[in-house]
Amino acid sequence: MSETAETLTSMEFHPQPQPGTATPWDFPAPERGTLENGLTVLRCHRPGQQVVAVEVFLAAPLDAEPEGLDGVATIMARALSEGTDKHAAEEFAAELERCGATLDAHADHPGVRVSLEVPVSRLPKALGLLAEALRAPAFPEGEIERLVRNRLDEIPHETANPGRRAAKQLSKELFPAASRMSRPRQGTEETVAAIDAVAVRAFYEAHVRPATATAVVVGDLTGVDLDAVLADTLGDWTGDSAEPRPVPAITADDTGRVVIVDRPGAVQTQLLIGRIGPDRHDPVWAAQVLGTYCLGGTLTSRLDRVLREEKGYTYGVRAFGQVLRSGAQTPVGGASGAAMLAISGSVDTPNTGPALEDLWKVLRTLAAEGLTDAERDVAVQNLVGVAPLKYETAASVAATLADQVEQHLPDDYQAQMYARLAETGTVEATAAVVSAFPVDRLVTVLVGDASQIEEPVAALGIGEVTVVTG
Amino acid sequence: MHKLATHIRLAIEGTYMPMGHTATAQAGSGGLTATEHRLSNGLRVVLSEDHLTPVAAVCLWYDVGSRHEVKGRTGLAHLFEHLMFQGSEQVHGNGHFELVQGAGGSLNGTTSFERTNYFETMPAHQLELALWLEADRMGSLLSALDEESMENQRDVVKNERRQRYDNVPYGTAFERLTALSYPAGHPYHHTPIGSMADLDAATLEDARNFFRTYYAPNNAVLSVVGDIDPERTLGWIEKYFGSIPGHDGKQPPRDGSLPDIIGEQLREVVREEVPARALMAAYRLPHDGTRESDAADLALTVLGGGESSRLHNRLVRRDRTAVGAGFGLLRLAGAPSLGWLDVKTSSGVEVPVIEAAVDEELARFAAEGPTPEEMERAQAQLEREWLDRLGTVAGRADELCRFAVLFGDPQLALTAVDRVLDVTAEEVRAVAAARLRPDNRAVLVYEPVTPEAAEQSAGTGQTDRADETEQTEQTGRAGEAGQEVGADR
Repeated sequence: MSETAETLTSMEFHPQPQPGTATPWDFPAPERGTLENGLTVLRCHRPGQQVVAVEVFLAAPLDAEPEGLDGVATIMARALSEGTDKHAAEEFAAELERCGATLDAHADHPGVRVSLEVPVSRLPKALGLLAEALRAPAFPEGEIERLVRNRLDEIPHETANPGRRAAKQLSKELFPAASRMSRPRQGTEETVAAIDAVAVRAFYEAHVRPATATAVVVGDLTGVDLDAVLADTLGDWTGDSAEPRPVPAITADDTGRVVIVDRPGAVQTQLLIGRIGPDRHDPVWAAQVLGTYCLGGTLTSRLDRVLREEKGYTYGVRAFGQVLRSGAQTPVGGASGAAMLAISGSVDTPNTGPALEDLWKVLRTLAAEGLTDAERDVAVQNLVGVAPLKYETAASVAATLADQVEQHLPDDYQAQMYARLAETGTVEATAAVVSAFPVDRLVTVLVGDASQIEEPVAALGIGEVTVVTG
Repeated sequence: MHKLATHIRLAIEGTYMPMGHTATAQAGSGGLTATEHRLSNGLRVVLSEDHLTPVAAVCLWYDVGSRHEVKGRTGLAHLFEHLMFQGSEQVHGNGHFELVQGAGGSLNGTTSFERTNYFETMPAHQLELALWLEADRMGSLLSALDEESMENQRDVVKNERRQRYDNVPYGTAFERLTALSYPAGHPYHHTPIGSMADLDAATLEDARNFFRTYYAPNNAVLSVVGDIDPERTLGWIEKYFGSIPGHDGKQPPRDGSLPDIIGEQLREVVREEVPARALMAAYRLPHDGTRESDAADLALTVLGGGESSRLHNRLVRRDRTAVGAGFGLLRLAGAPSLGWLDVKTSSGVEVPVIEAAVDEELARFAAEGPTPEEMERAQAQLEREWLDRLGTVAGRADELCRFAVLFGDPQLALTAVDRVLDVTAEEVRAVAAARLRPDNRAVLVYEPVTPEAAEQSAGTGQTDRADETEQTEQTGRAGEAGQEVGADR
C-alpha cells in the first residue's frame, strides 16, 4: 500500500479460504475404429454437449502442392463446400445452415482440416452433407475462379495486418527458400493466380481419400446410433489406398538478427521473435511448455510482469510453442518434426528499443538464475488445473484429438501430458525454456516505423538489422 | 468458410459487438433452472446447478458502463476495470490473477456501453476462492488503489487502444460509426475504449470517485453456475459479501432514448491507408429485450448472417464485387440497437456499385420478407448460437447476469430462444421495412490512399473518440495459450 492509498474497512474481512477436495478429471479417452472404406474414426461421448463437433483430418500436406501452385490446398479446402454431385454451391450452403451447422476448412503444413459443428438433433443430416463434400465435390470452374479471385483480394488485407505480416516475414527468414515452410501457407499473388479447377481436382485426386483420413466425432451422443449414421454418410466415401508421404526434415537458420518491415507512421511496433525447436514427440515437450508458460504464458509471467505491469509498454506479450508439423515416430532416429517457438506482442513506437532491451534482459536473467520453485508450482497448478475448463466444449476436445492424429501422437497423449507436467521439476523447466529461447539464436521481426526504431534497435546488439518494405 | 468473410463476421460480433443472440435454459441437460436471492445490502444473486463437469463459473455484472461516463472522461469505466485487477485490502499486487490461475482457474473482465463484468471459471473445489476475491475488491479496492497502478494501467490501456484500433486497418471504424449514429452529447456517442486525451486526463481521484459512485453490492448481480451446492454457495456469498455496505450514490446514465428513425442518411468518407475500399453502415434498430429486436436479429441473419445470406450470395457469389459481406447486431438496452453492415470490396470495385446492390436487396426484402426456407435457416442459426452460448458454465453465468441487470429478470434468459423461434416472417419483414432504410443509417466509406498521401493528410481525418464494446479481451478457455486481461492473439 502506498501513502496515497486510503483505508476502507467497513466490511468484515475473512482469511483466504482453502480449497475443497478436487474432483478427479481425466482428458477423455476416445474410442478408435475403422470404417470399411478405411476411414479412421475417433468418437467420444461428452454428456451435455448438445452441439456436436466433427473434425476431419485429410493427409494432404502443403509440401504436396505442385511447384508454382502454392495455395492449391487452400482453394481445394474452400471448394469442398462449393457444390457437390447433389447440390449446387448456394444450395449446399443453404442446406448446411438449415441444420444450424457451421463448416470450416483450412489447409496447413500437416494437411487439411475440415470442422463441422451442429446440434446433435441434426447430426445425421449434416454428416451427410460433409460426406458429400468429401466424396463428390463438384469443383465447378466458375466457383474455383471465384475462390481464386476472392483469395487474391484477401492478400492485401493480410499484408496490412501487422501480426500476419510479421508471421510471413519470420517464415521467410527462418526456412530455406526451397522449403514449403518458407512461403505463405495460402500462396502468393503469383501462385494463387495460376490455380484453376483442373489443378484443384488433380490435388484432390492425388491426396484426398478415406484410407488416409480420420474423422473425430465428439458430443452428447445419447440415443445416436453413430455406427449407422456413419455407415450412411462417411461410409459411402470410397477411394484407393496410398503410401504415407515421408515428412521432410525441417531446418531453420536461427542466426540472431533483426528484420524491420517498414511501416512509416505506425504508432506501434509488432514484435515476433522466434526460431524452431522440439515438437511433442520430444520428451522435453512438457518441460518446454512449463518453462514457456513461466516466461510468457500470462499476464503474471516474466515478460508481462516487466513489459506490461511494470513499464506499461504493451497490452501484452506472449511466449508460445506451436507445432509446425510432426512425422510418425520411427524405430530408429526418432521422429522428424518441429515447433515454432516464439515471443509475440505489440509495443508503442517510442518504447520499442527499451522494450526489446528489457525483453532480452528477462531472457538473460532467466538463463543466469533460472526459474523459482514457486513459479514452477503455480504454472503446473494452472496448466493442469484448467484442463476441465479448457475441455468443457465438444469442439475443444475434438480439436485436440485431431491435433494428436495429425501429429502422429497416441490417442492418450494429452491425458499423459498432464501427468508429465505434474512430474516436471524446476530444473528441467528452466533448462527447456533457456534452450528454447537462447539470446543469440533468435530471429527478430519488427513491423513498425523504421525511421524511428532502426537506430535504437541496432544499438541493442541483438543482431544485424535490415529493413524491408512491402 | 472463407477466411476473410469469417473474419468480418467475427469482427462484427466478437470485436465490436457482444453476441447478439441470447441464451435460454433448455440447453444442455435440458430443464436448466436458476434461483434468485438478495442479500440485505442489496446484492442480487443467481444460482444455477449443473454437475456434468467439475467446474463452477462466477460472474459479477456491475450496472455501469461507458454510457455513465461524463464529458472529458471517456474511457474511465474501462480503465477502472483494469484497476480492479491491481489489488485490494487482502489481495496484493497482481494477486487476483496469481491466485485464480494458481488454482487452475481462468478469469477476465470486460467493459461495454451498458455494464462492466468480471468473471472467473474455477475447478469446482476452488469456487470459494473466487467469491472471496470478488468480495475483497468490491469492498476494499480503495485501500490498495494508488498512483503507481493508475499510471501503469493508463499506459497499458493506451497500448491496448493502439494495438486494437489505431494500428490496424479500419480499426477506428467502430468508433467513427458509433459517433455518427448517436448525436454529440448522447451517452452512447463515444465507445468504451475512450480517447487518448481523456485517458491522459483521468486522475486517481476520478477513479476513486468512480468506485465510490458505482461499485456497490446494490448495483451488481452475482451469478454462480456449475457443479455447486447452492446452500453452501449462498452461505459463502453471505459470509464474504454480506458485510459490504450498500449505498445510493449511483448516478443514473443520461437518457439514451432517440426517435425510431434517424430521418436522414449520415455519411463520412475516410481517406486512409487501408488495403481496400469498404462500405460500412449502422442502421438504427429497436432496443434489446423487445420482440422487434428479435425480429431484427432474424432479418439481419437472413440478409447478412452467413454463407447462404442474401448479401453474401449477391455480392460475393454472383456480382463478385466484394471480398466479404455481412450484417451483425449490436444489441443495446438503453439506446437503440445498431445493425452493422460491413462490406470490403473486391479489387477495382467502386463503393456506389456496392451501395446500389445493398439498397436493392434491402428494398426487395422489405417488400417480400423472408422465404419460409430463409426463416428456417435463420432460426436454426440463432438456435445453435444459443446452444453454443449455453454450452459452457461461463456463458450461462454471463447470460443470467445480463438479463438480471438489463431487464430485471434472470429467468428471461431461460426463455430467450423460444422468443426468437416464436417470431413470424411477417414481423421480420415489418421490422426490415420500418428500419433498414437509407434514411435510417449512418454510412462510413473507406477510400484507400497511398502511404505518401496518408502522411501528408495525417491528422486531418482523425477523430479523437473512443471505442468498442467488449473492451478487454476475451478470456479464451484458459490453458497453454490462454488470454487474460491482456493481449489477444
